[in-house]
Amino acid sequence: MTPVPDQPPTPTAGPIGGPIGGATRGPWVRVARDFARSPLAMTALVVLALVVLAAVFAPLLTPQNPYDLMQLDIMDGMLEPGSPSAAGGYTYLLGTDDQGRDLFSAILYGLRISLSVGVVSALVAALVGASLGLFAAYVGGRTETAIMRIVDLQLSFPSILVALMILAFLGKGVQNVVLALIIVEWASYARTARGTALVESRREYIQAADCLGVPMRRIIFRHLLPNCLPPLIVMGTIQVGRAISLEATLSFLGLGVPVTEPSLGLLISNGYQYLLSGQYWLSFYPGIALLVTIVAINLVGDQFRDVFNPKGRG
Amino acid sequence: MVQAKAQRDSSPLLAVRNLRTSFQVEGRWTRVLNDVSFEIGNRQTLAVVGESGSGKSVTAMSIMRLLPPATSRIEGEVLFGGRDLLKLPSEEMRRIRGGDIAMIFQETSLNPVYTIGFHMVETLRQHRNLSAAEARREAVALLDKVRIPSAASRLDDYAHQFSGGMRQRVMIAIALACNPKLLIADEPTTALDVTIQAQILQTLRDLQAEEEMSILFITHDMGVVAEMSDRTIVMYHGDAVEEGETRQIFAAPRAPYTRSLLAAVPRLGEMAESPGPSRFPVIDRATGAVVAPAASGSVPDGSAPIILQVEDLVTRFDIHGGALGGLTGRVHAVEKVSFDIREGETLSLVGESGCGKSTTGRTIMGLTSPNSGSVRMEGREVGSLGRRELRMTRRRMQMIFQDPVSSLNARMTVGTAIAEPFLVHKLGGKAQARDKVADLLERVGLRPDMANRYPHEFSGGQRQRISLARALILDPKLIIADESVSALDVSVKAQVINLMLDLQSQLKLSYLFISHDMAVVERVSHRVAVMYLGEIVEIGARAAIFGNPQHPYTRKLLSAVPVADPYQRGQRRIEVSELKSPVRAVDFVPPNREYREVSAGHWVQLADN
Repeated sequence: MTPVPDQPPTPTAGPIGGPIGGATRGPWVRVARDFARSPLAMTALVVLALVVLAAVFAPLLTPQNPYDLMQLDIMDGMLEPGSPSAAGGYTYLLGTDDQGRDLFSAILYGLRISLSVGVVSALVAALVGASLGLFAAYVGGRTETAIMRIVDLQLSFPSILVALMILAFLGKGVQNVVLALIIVEWASYARTARGTALVESRREYIQAADCLGVPMRRIIFRHLLPNCLPPLIVMGTIQVGRAISLEATLSFLGLGVPVTEPSLGLLISNGYQYLLSGQYWLSFYPGIALLVTIVAINLVGDQFRDVFNPKGRG
Repeated sequence: MVQAKAQRDSSPLLAVRNLRTSFQVEGRWTRVLNDVSFEIGNRQTLAVVGESGSGKSVTAMSIMRLLPPATSRIEGEVLFGGRDLLKLPSEEMRRIRGGDIAMIFQETSLNPVYTIGFHMVETLRQHRNLSAAEARREAVALLDKVRIPSAASRLDDYAHQFSGGMRQRVMIAIALACNPKLLIADEPTTALDVTIQAQILQTLRDLQAEEEMSILFITHDMGVVAEMSDRTIVMYHGDAVEEGETRQIFAAPRAPYTRSLLAAVPRLGEMAESPGPSRFPVIDRATGAVVAPAASGSVPDGSAPIILQVEDLVTRFDIHGGALGGLTGRVHAVEKVSFDIREGETLSLVGESGCGKSTTGRTIMGLTSPNSGSVRMEGREVGSLGRRELRMTRRRMQMIFQDPVSSLNARMTVGTAIAEPFLVHKLGGKAQARDKVADLLERVGLRPDMANRYPHEFSGGQRQRISLARALILDPKLIIADESVSALDVSVKAQVINLMLDLQSQLKLSYLFISHDMAVVERVSHRVAVMYLGEIVEIGARAAIFGNPQHPYTRKLLSAVPVADPYQRGQRRIEVSELKSPVRAVDFVPPNREYREVSAGHWVQLADN
C-alpha cells in the first residue's frame, strides 16, 4: 500500500455551475431516460419483452403441449409449415417434426427452458461471483489473492470444456445444466466486481463508513455493491445471452437438457439430421428464435453499457 | 516601477469587447459570459479572479477559440494587435495559438512516452523552422530561462522524472518557445505546493520583465492575484463585477461581491492580536453590508482535559520492487510524532505534499496501522483495543475528508447516510434517528426536509456540511479534518470554517485540522504543528509559530504563502528548490531528534549535528 498523497485543492473549472443533466429523482431515472434515446435498443427491448411474454404464456398461445405425448399425432409427422392437422382444428404454422409435434409450440416451450436456464444461471452466478469479488476487493491481502487466483484458474479453461466435464460427471438434466453454467460463469462476475470495487473502496465514502464503525457486511452490500452495480448489470445482461447460447451448444451436443423437455438447442440438434433432406424448418425456426433472443439481449446489454459509461455520453 | 508599468500604452495588446459566450445544454442555450470587456496593455498582467463557475476559464477559452463550436457560441470582439480573433479563419487562428498567444494550464500536458526534449524540439521546429540541432540548442536555452537546474542534462528525461513544479516550468518553457506577446495562464500553480508555487510565480514575474510579454492570469486565489497582477477583473456568475487596478481593488473594493470575497480571504499575520480562532466576517453578496462581524472563537483554558495523546507514532510503508518483489525501500511517512489535544482545542498539522500529515491523521483514526507508538483517546490506548472496543472508540473520534464529491455515497439519500452510524451502533430506533438527523441538518445550516435528497443535488460546501452532520451523529469529542475545506471556494470555505468554529464552542469539540493552507490554519488553530518529511519540526501555540517561527522550514513555508496584499509583493525571494522525498533505503535508521523549548509549549527541532 502506498501513502495517500496530500493534494492541494483542484477547483473544478466547470463552465456551468450545478449538476449537469439536472436529474433530481435519483440516478435510475436518468438511466431510463438515456436508455430510451436509442431506437434500436428500444426495439430490442420490445422484442425481448415479446419473447419473454411468449415464453411465459406459452400454454395459452400454443395449440398443443409438445411434452404431452397424448396430444401428438404420429400421422402429422414431418408436415411443412402451414399444413393443417390431420384431425383438423388448427394449422401447423411452422410445421411438425417426425413425431408429429407442432414446431411452433415446441419453440415456445423450448424458449421457456432456454430463458429460465439462462436467467437463473446468470442471476445465481452474479450473486456468487459479485459477492466474492466485492469481498476480495474490500478485504484485500491473502484472501483476495486466493479468491482471484481461483478466478484466474477458472477463466483459463474454455467454458464449453468445463461445462462438458461437469455434465459428463453429473449427467443430463435442467438443474445440472444450470449448475454447470453457474460454475462456468461466476468467475467473470467476480473479476468485474473486484475491478470496480477496488476503485470504489479507495473512495472516501467507504473510508468514512469505516470510520463511522459500519460493519463489514453492510459496507460491502449497502455501500460497495450499489456503486459497483452498473458494470455488473451490463455484464449480467450479456451473460444471460451467453448462457442461453452455451446451453444450446450443450444440448446440441447431447449433454444438456433431456429429450423429453427440448430446449431451443436440442430442437436445432433434432432437426439437424434432416437439414439437407429438405425438411429445413426443423432446425431453421428454432435457430431463428435463438438468434432473435440472443441478439435482442445483446443489444439491450450494449445500450446499458453505453448508458452507464459516462465517457460515451455527449 | 509598478506604477510606470501600469501606465497603459496607447493601443492595448488585447482588447476584449462585450464578450458573450453561450453553451448548448440539453438543447437550450445558456449564457455563461455576459458582456465581458477588458484590455491588456503591453507588459501588463491582468488577473481574472472568481470562484468555480464564475466563467473565468471560459473567458480564456473563448479568446483562444478553444470551445467546441457545435455546442458553444461566442459573440463580441476580441481584438489582438488590431485583428478580431473571433473572425479569423481557423487556420490563421491555429498559428496564433502557440505563436503570439501561448497558454499554460493547471495540469501539465506532457505525453509520458516522449522526452521533454522531444516536446520542445517539436514545437520549435514546427513554429520557428529551426533545424534539429538549432532547436536542441534553443530548447536548452529555454529550460535555462525558466530556471531548471542543469538544463542540458535534463533534456532527455521523461515527464515522470520531473516534479510537479519542474513540469510546470517545462510547460512555461514550451509556451515561451515562440516568443509569445501574450501568455494565458489558467490556474498554473493551483496543483502545486506553496513553496513551489512561490517559486513559479517569481519565475513568471522575472520572465515577464525579460521577455516583455503580457500575462492573462486566471486564478481563484486572491493571494496569487495580489502577488501577480497590475489590473484585476473579478468575475461572478459570468459577469465582470469589478475591474480596476489591483491595489485599488484590494484597498477599496466597490462591488458588494468583491467585498464579500475579500472578507472571506484569510490574510497571513492578521491574527497576531487574537488569542483564539476567529470567525470570518459575513458580508451580503448583493448589498455588501456586514451581516455578522468577525468574532473570536472559544479558547480552552489550561485545565481542560486532554482528549487525544499521540506518542512516538511511526508509520512506514514498504516499497517492493525488482523481479522478485523484494523490499527495496520504505516511505517514512510518519516518524516519531508526538502531540496532544485538549478538549475544545484545535491543533493544526501543516506541511506540504508527502510530509505525512494525512498519514498521521489516518493512523490515529485507525485507517492505517502504525509500526510503533501509541495513540490514546480519552486515556484508552487505541492500538490495544479489540474489534468491538475499537468500534466504540471510533464513536469518540471522527474524520472529515477532503473531497466533497466522493465522501458521500451517491446512491444513498443524505438522511440515510447521516442516520446510518446511529442505527448500526444501535443508539436508538428509526424515529429517534430521524429526529436526530433533522436536528443535525439544522445545526449545520441545512433544512431538515433535505434529508430525502441525494448527494448530487448539493453543492460542495453543502456536502461538507452533510459530512459534518454525519460525523456528529455519534457525538464525537474529536474530529480529524483532513484538508476538509481545501477543495472549496473561498467564500464557501469561510462559511464551513465558521460552522466548524461554532460547533466547537457549542459542543466543546476538539479538532485535528490537517491542512497545507497556512492562512486558514492561522485563522482556525489554537496550536500548530509543522511537519516536514514525516517529522514534526516545530510545534507550539499559534501565535508563537506565526509570530516567532524558529525552524528554517517553518520560516520558508511562511514566506512562501501568497499574501493577499498587493503592497507586500516581491519583498521576499526564495531560491529554486524541490521537495525532498521521504523514501529511504531499507537499512535507514532515523536520527535521534532533540527539541528545544523556545517558550512555554513552543518546541523546535534542533538541526542535525
